[in-house]
Amino acid sequence: MDIISQLQEQVNAVAAAAFNTFGTLQRDAPAVRLSPNYPEPPAGPTPNPNPNPNVNPTEDAANVTEQSKVMSAALVKAAKQLDALVAALPISEGGEEAQLKRIAELQAENDAVGQELQRQLEAAENELKLVQELFSQATDNCLNLKKPD
Amino acid sequence: MAATSAYPPPPPYYRLYKDFIQNPKSAPEPPPPIEGTYVCFGGSYTTDDVLPSLEEQGVRQLYPKGPNVDFKKELRSLNRELQLHILELADILVERPSQYARRVEDISLIFKNLHHLLNSLRPHQARATLIHILELQIQRRKQAVEDIKRIGRK
Repeated sequence: MDIISQLQEQVNAVAAAAFNTFGTLQRDAPAVRLSPNYPEPPAGPTPNPNPNPNVNPTEDAANVTEQSKVMSAALVKAAKQLDALVAALPISEGGEEAQLKRIAELQAENDAVGQELQRQLEAAENELKLVQELFSQATDNCLNLKKPD
Repeated sequence: MAATSAYPPPPPYYRLYKDFIQNPKSAPEPPPPIEGTYVCFGGSYTTDDVLPSLEEQGVRQLYPKGPNVDFKKELRSLNRELQLHILELADILVERPSQYARRVEDISLIFKNLHHLLNSLRPHQARATLIHILELQIQRRKQAVEDIKRIGRK
């Protein structure tokens, strides 16, 4: 894929990493205690009847911190890749005018070489015709020298 | 049975071409190609395919305008701005969650600028591709000239 499409893909990847990170945090973050007067927030969204209910709140919090570390690492990695791709851009200084000038130069050179090629081609074709003519004469002579029995 | 309306009839211009076989000049010429903007099925399109500038789309342009934009520098600085804004959004969500809208708007502005910069690199890429193709063509032609000379000498 060409470098500009790769850059565009990488920008979209950074955007995706960002909104996935925030979305996951918003969905999974455990409830926060706002004031000491209010009771402790309930453990998990629904009280589920499983053998050890105490594992859930601490496990959730650990998962969330673990996940957020992984996701933010991915976000930073995507941004670094974007930087690397920008550094790999083969942009030469000079801008539009320099490019247009180079195109005009190349077109002139192309025309000159094309004419040279045309001349060479014509000379070669003439030579070929000459050789073919001589060859047919030679074969005619050969055929005429052979007397029919 | 659902009542369906019939299709509209074809335009009546076919009558003008009655004697086309005998005299091709008796019928009207086809309409000339459209230039500028035209309306098609209620949407307006333009024949001039150019990338609309950010102002025309109502988006603020963050990188400096001018004839020659240093693409690498601007892309890098926009990338850093983006990272800073993401961190700022995370901070705001912790401290004052109700003020997220402004930060989210800033982040989307940066993304729009990034994509616009990348899109405006495309004409440059097209010209570079053209230069490359011309160089290849010159090389091939020179090679052909050399081959002809070589074969002719043998």
